[in-house]
Amino acid sequence: MTGYVIRRVLYLGPVLFAVALITFLLMHAVSGGPWDHDKPFDPVTVANLNHKYGLDQPLWQQFVTYIGNALHGDLGVSYVQQGRPVGDLLRSGFLTTATLGLLSFLVAMCLGLILGIVASLRRNSLLDRASSFMTAGAASMPTFVLGVLLVVLFSVRLHWLPTGGWGSPKQAIMPVIALAAFPLAYIARVTRASMLEVLSEEYILAARSKGLREGVVLLRHAMRNALIPILTVAGPIAVSLVTGSFIVETFFSIPGTGRLFVQGVFARDYGVIMGAVLFYAFLVAVANLIVDLLYAVVDPRIRYR
Amino acid sequence: MPSKSKLWLLLVGVTAVLAAVLASACGDGGETKSSSGQMAPVQELRLNLVAEPETIDPNLAFDSDSIGVVRQLYSGLLTFDQDLNLVPALASEVPSQSNGGISADGLTYTFKLREDAKWSDGQPITAADVEYSVKRLLDPEIGSAYAPVYFDIQGAAEYTMAMGDPEDPTPVDEATLSQLRDTVGVEAMDEHTLRMTLVQPRYTFVYLAAIWPIYPLRQDIVEAFGDTWTEPGNNVSSGPFVLSEWAHNDHMTLTPNPYWYGEQPKLQKLVLKMIGDPNAAYAAYLNDELDVVAVPPANIKSVEEDSNLSQQIVRSVDMGTNAYEFNVQVAPFDDPKVRQAFAMAIDRDSFVNKVDFGVGEVAYSLIPPGTVGYDPELGQELAYDPQRARELLAEAGYGEGNLPDVTIQFADVGGNQLSAEFAQGQFEENLGVSVKLEPLEPRAFAATVMQGEFMIIPIGWGADYPDADNWLPQNFGSEGGSNLAGYSNAEFDALVEQAIAEPDPGKRLALWSQAQQLLVNDAAAIFVSYRERVRLVKPYVKNLILTGMDAGLDGELFLTATYIAEH
Repeated sequence: MTGYVIRRVLYLGPVLFAVALITFLLMHAVSGGPWDHDKPFDPVTVANLNHKYGLDQPLWQQFVTYIGNALHGDLGVSYVQQGRPVGDLLRSGFLTTATLGLLSFLVAMCLGLILGIVASLRRNSLLDRASSFMTAGAASMPTFVLGVLLVVLFSVRLHWLPTGGWGSPKQAIMPVIALAAFPLAYIARVTRASMLEVLSEEYILAARSKGLREGVVLLRHAMRNALIPILTVAGPIAVSLVTGSFIVETFFSIPGTGRLFVQGVFARDYGVIMGAVLFYAFLVAVANLIVDLLYAVVDPRIRYR
Repeated sequence: MPSKSKLWLLLVGVTAVLAAVLASACGDGGETKSSSGQMAPVQELRLNLVAEPETIDPNLAFDSDSIGVVRQLYSGLLTFDQDLNLVPALASEVPSQSNGGISADGLTYTFKLREDAKWSDGQPITAADVEYSVKRLLDPEIGSAYAPVYFDIQGAAEYTMAMGDPEDPTPVDEATLSQLRDTVGVEAMDEHTLRMTLVQPRYTFVYLAAIWPIYPLRQDIVEAFGDTWTEPGNNVSSGPFVLSEWAHNDHMTLTPNPYWYGEQPKLQKLVLKMIGDPNAAYAAYLNDELDVVAVPPANIKSVEEDSNLSQQIVRSVDMGTNAYEFNVQVAPFDDPKVRQAFAMAIDRDSFVNKVDFGVGEVAYSLIPPGTVGYDPELGQELAYDPQRARELLAEAGYGEGNLPDVTIQFADVGGNQLSAEFAQGQFEENLGVSVKLEPLEPRAFAATVMQGEFMIIPIGWGADYPDADNWLPQNFGSEGGSNLAGYSNAEFDALVEQAIAEPDPGKRLALWSQAQQLLVNDAAAIFVSYRERVRLVKPYVKNLILTGMDAGLDGELFLTATYIAEH
């Protein structure tokens, strides 16, 4: 097990290097650079800025310099938030994004599991149908549409919640709902299907016939096996929270890494793009590792060597 | 992770959906209460800055958000009154030849600084602070976008272009740079006297002494803190406000500068939020989170029809012009007759109604109202006339389907899609040409245009200062930095050069007018509308003085006068 973890962690190096290289190449291949503003810069300014930021050097050299600096923890500076180190920008946004992401994850997991289990136990009941209807709606509604509806309802109409920003608990409510809706629906559906399958297994019948209480049957026997498919989707869900944060943070004006990344891409802010992509690649890789390890915890048949 | 184009589409989608939903939802905008006009106990104004300013360093600021903030924190030698005439600020008078501020040959400008002006830490503001700022602006190592605007100062171009030809730059050493820096024609003669020397007479130079790039700076602060000198705590102000808080990408809080030499602000707090989506900002206004907001164009009609919101509308002149620009270097638009035909194929009234949602007014020439050089008579000969347009096309040898397909490229943001579709419809209907649309992501669009790979683009111009000098040479001069069309007319260049060197304002105006006439004759671009701003302002916001020069903040030149009434 320990050997497995160490190997997986060591794989991170080459993965991140590949991500860095691909991002770097794509970023420079795209039409338009950091100085292509709608108000054109004089060629003199462009030459001076290229020199200032080392963009006048051959691409391979820029990449080598970048990797060298990155290994020493220096991710360069932003061109858009002029002179601010990318590391600082990511750090200051990370806490916000992580809070938003974790809250959404918790909301999605708890409510999704509860909804899924209840629906599976009361199959075809009114509750099951209502839950199916809601989850279908949440799964098919794009995050931004939901965001808009929330703002119109809770801010413009009812004046209960602020339209955006970050800092007070009130400001977190709508973004968390918007971000959690899709994973919540997804988890609820997977849980319901998985529970239904497990509940029809013979060992459940056996457990029940032993005279075990229904609660014990559900928690100790059914849930444990039903959780495996849910864990499988936890990885993609973590990714959907990351990509969802790009939209949600931009729409609700939240100063997190998601919005930073979106702004960076549009502004061709090379340092920010590289830093944010590496950061997200790292997060996703770690999330997948954790999910893989949890398999072993839930399912004793799974062993990592 | 979604691809860029997908992400882009999603964001465009966000805007579209919110616009649609808000258009129907704006009925509940909070009631309009009449205010007594008495000052409220809490003097806090909340404006939308739209985006995190790229910088608040005056030397480096070039985008409107940055400029809006810079104008609150710093001040310059000269400034503008409400009618946008030049008035003294740090300087005790506007230099002219009659008061001796400008030498007889028009090359030397002497500014006498007022002696009571202080920085927000109590230190006096001196001529040396201005000298430092000018030289830093021109320093090639900081790469300022506005350095080339000041190339009329002696030695400026040589210093900024130290690396030589921008296409093939050669890095230079510190000693050379330092030598070039010393030859720049700006000098503090004593603590309160500044002299600037130009390479050629340019009587519009006084405007350049009034705008932000050469606002004085503190060498000790900049050098002590490096890139972080603008952060709260490090930063010192020479303007009406100081920066108390900067929650990056969220908001800034400004409070009055106790050492400010002008009228003390009535506001105790100026909160600048950074809400990027125009519809989200509009929702924030409806939810009482903002005191002033730009009305998203698509919502103007529903706002006007709303009994409460309609009373909060404030319309004001925006010194800007919308147009379609041709690539005049490539056939068929290298032929002035073809350009004239296209210009006469656009119904300007219809443009203002359909593309601008009734905001703004029709335009037939470049320079907008409120700017020295505006001439309402100009350009009528290119007014809407489809009949004549077809004749012109035939005269140019492109009659009856002979014209190759035309492509309109545009940056896929804001109202550009609408504008491009409108032009497509007009050209196809009135000229019988086939028009393709090519939407591009904004930076890709800018790069495409800079490389001259376009046929027709929708374009808009705004002003840094209210004079034709800011419009003609840059946008249509052969060497103009913003001349995207590639327009080149020796006669035009000569007129512009003559105007710049003409000391008499009346004669200068006549020369600008002749130069503009040439643009019309050549149909250098299709000028279609002059911009207007439509804002919603809460009734308790008093004395918000909007000008055509507001960049990133509404009323940014006169926020010292603004206050909040009892409500």
